[in-house]
Amino acid sequence: MKRLPPPMLWLYRGALVIYPSRLRYAYREQMLQTLRDAYRDRNIRAVHFWFRVYKDLVQSSLTERFKMVRDFVFKAPIAFHTVTLALVLTVLGAAAAITMQQMLRRGANQPQIDMAQWYAGEIGAGENPGNVIPPGYVDLERSLQPFVIFYDEQGKPGPGTGYIEQRVPVPPSGVFDFVRIHGSENVTWQPRPGARIATVVRRVNSKTPGFILAGRSLGPVEYQERLLWRMVMVGWVIVMTLLLGGASLLNRAQRAKPVAA
Amino acid sequence: MLPLSPVVFSILLALAVSEKHGYAIMKEAALPEGGGVVMGPGTLYGSLDRMMRSGLVEETGLTDNERRRYYRITKFGSEVLGAEAARLARVMSSVRRKAVLEGAR
Repeated sequence: MKRLPPPMLWLYRGALVIYPSRLRYAYREQMLQTLRDAYRDRNIRAVHFWFRVYKDLVQSSLTERFKMVRDFVFKAPIAFHTVTLALVLTVLGAAAAITMQQMLRRGANQPQIDMAQWYAGEIGAGENPGNVIPPGYVDLERSLQPFVIFYDEQGKPGPGTGYIEQRVPVPPSGVFDFVRIHGSENVTWQPRPGARIATVVRRVNSKTPGFILAGRSLGPVEYQERLLWRMVMVGWVIVMTLLLGGASLLNRAQRAKPVAA
Repeated sequence: MLPLSPVVFSILLALAVSEKHGYAIMKEAALPEGGGVVMGPGTLYGSLDRMMRSGLVEETGLTDNERRRYYRITKFGSEVLGAEAARLARVMSSVRRKAVLEGAR
């Protein structure tokens, strides 16, 4: 009769820590007794016996844990599926809203890109900036009209149509430094608190080198963005209310079902 | 519930005739006529726990010491075992009809 060596028993008892705790507390003593019986009766070499025992312990621990998660999920299906659906809808809704916001933001630059390109082309072809840029007066704080300003090589303002407090505004010098190297830049510029402008700055290489800045107030775009997020929030609240209401009705209907004999 | 997993089927089969403790179930399941399912204590007690919760087996309350408890098949467990055996019999009859076994020789 082969007796199980106590160190091996202690080792197995310690290894049971990987077994799910509920099963471990309920069956530990029975498992150890079964192990003693199996060791006593074994007709294979000890090394094979232990390999089989530990392989079974690892496999069954993983299997039981997986089944416990699965049972938990199916025990409360309505709650689980409601939460899952709510999460999925929230993530999809947020992704769609962010995409739309980005499209609005990119769209806000489009007329300025075209304007800056056209004016830079004309001045680059040898035209005088004063002749190309039409006379006009756009108050950056009040008007939603696009405007254009020419700056010389040192960044001093030349002819232009954009004004703030009756003066042509000058962007930070870092913008011109960047454009000197990279050719163009799209910047959100705030010359005054509350006056946010989407600008496109392009390098002009000609006999009158400098920079052309085309801009437009971000007011309409920011208004559309606020409107978008308000609609998203209202939509989200409606969808979540419907989801919770539906889940609650389903739960009530399920509870009212007679229990099968 | 059908088809049963080989482990569940062999445990039910081991308990079909008489109540048994864990090691006796494990030993009988490992025999060729018991299903030839070699399992360790981890698989055995995890399966017994689920089978008790499904009402297929139950503890007898009989124990020769705290460590060795006895299990028996329930009426529902017998019905499930019978249904699975019938399913397997139909499969075997199909195997015979198609002469699969002769072809394998």
